[in-house]
Amino acid sequence: MDVVIENLPFLLRGAYYTLLITIVSMFFGSIIAVFVAVARLKGNRPIRWMARAYVSIIRGTPTLVQIIIVYYGLVDYGIKLQPLTAAYIALSISIGAYLSETLRGALQSIPKGQMEAAYASGMTPVQTMRRIIFPQAIRVAIPPAGNTFIGMLKETSLVSVITVTELLRSSQLLIAQYYVYMPFYISIAIMYWIMSTGFSFLLERLEKRLSIYV
Amino acid sequence: MIKTTALSKSFQQLEVLKEIDVQVNSGEVVAILGPSGSGKSTLLRCFNGLEELTGGSMQVCGVLVDAKQSKKERTKRIRQIRLNTGMVFQQFNLYPHKTVLQNVIEALLIVKKWPKERAVEKGESLLARVGLLEKKDVYPSRLSGGQQQRVAIARALAMEPDLMLFDEPTSSLDPELVDEVLAVIKELAKDGMTMAVVTHEMQFAREVADRIIFMADGVIVEEGKPEAFFTNPETDRAKKFLKKK
Repeated sequence: MDVVIENLPFLLRGAYYTLLITIVSMFFGSIIAVFVAVARLKGNRPIRWMARAYVSIIRGTPTLVQIIIVYYGLVDYGIKLQPLTAAYIALSISIGAYLSETLRGALQSIPKGQMEAAYASGMTPVQTMRRIIFPQAIRVAIPPAGNTFIGMLKETSLVSVITVTELLRSSQLLIAQYYVYMPFYISIAIMYWIMSTGFSFLLERLEKRLSIYV
Repeated sequence: MIKTTALSKSFQQLEVLKEIDVQVNSGEVVAILGPSGSGKSTLLRCFNGLEELTGGSMQVCGVLVDAKQSKKERTKRIRQIRLNTGMVFQQFNLYPHKTVLQNVIEALLIVKKWPKERAVEKGESLLARVGLLEKKDVYPSRLSGGQQQRVAIARALAMEPDLMLFDEPTSSLDPELVDEVLAVIKELAKDGMTMAVVTHEMQFAREVADRIIFMADGVIVEEGKPEAFFTNPETDRAKKFLKKK
């Protein structure tokens, strides 16, 4: 156990990258999700079709394959990305597809009368979306999106294969140095658990805050 | 205020409104009656463009909308109409994530871009008018159906409309809550507001309306003064309808 305590700063640095990748991908993934969900609901035929294809391809292929394509595959076309950049891009694209489906369902769950009331009062479609429909859909989407975010936190371990020194890879580097396995693996498992639980806690609070009107 | 010329509406093959010619004059209260499926709600929803007319034309609040206009042109004109009309729905359709006051002033802030203080002042005076000022900071889910509908009326009035459209405003209310809503609408009628009301409340139509329009199967079957319509309907269709009530 001493080796773990001795190397705790290194592991914490890995945990920091795990969190950073999670949050950055969540942020950009959410932006992608908004556009894709709206494209699928309001777009014309080619736009709807493209959005559908995106969701289908991402959800139908392993995240690990997507990460490897972005980092190693794009080299063939002369695109050589930093590992961390590749991780951000691959995971944002991945989470965006899952979140867009959640958001689409949430948007569709808002009764049509809400839109009609807003239109009848002279609001434009954009104003209606922003002020009336979205705020309600977000509340519906938060619990399932929370699950996606927690899944994301754990999936960041996949980017260890493209040499991003997040939590998992930090432990592997230490193991290669000290030749002990279990203490490091148990330690990072605990760290993942703490981070997931923290996330759940924050999401629950957010859910409560958004539910005051029910 | 409203004048339609051969206004028609079909959903795919189904013709819901067949060449309707109808007129609502300024200051007039018109009750639209008819069995379900007669097209009365669809007609009302055409007036502010929630349903798109597929044939004919209409002039609402001085804006002409014609089925032959381009979609873009119609959208622009419909928006103009909406700025001058208020609508009250059967299901209230209050915004659940906004407080009572926020519901009332939303369009003032977003559409008319009024400063907050001015909008709040206006909103509070409207809530006082429908007797719900003390509820201004609660969310709609805490209100009874009757109270929600009164808030919805205040919300529709906030834009200072020239014309109010009511789509079965009491149909989803418990019987004991109907009167408080009708009282508010009567009050508006007394103040000279132009209104088109789709309703099943015969007594109310009789008391408040200046004119009855009776629809069935997508056409206007009969129209006239309430007294004449209720005591001595001309058509068999109207007689049958009134007998069932």
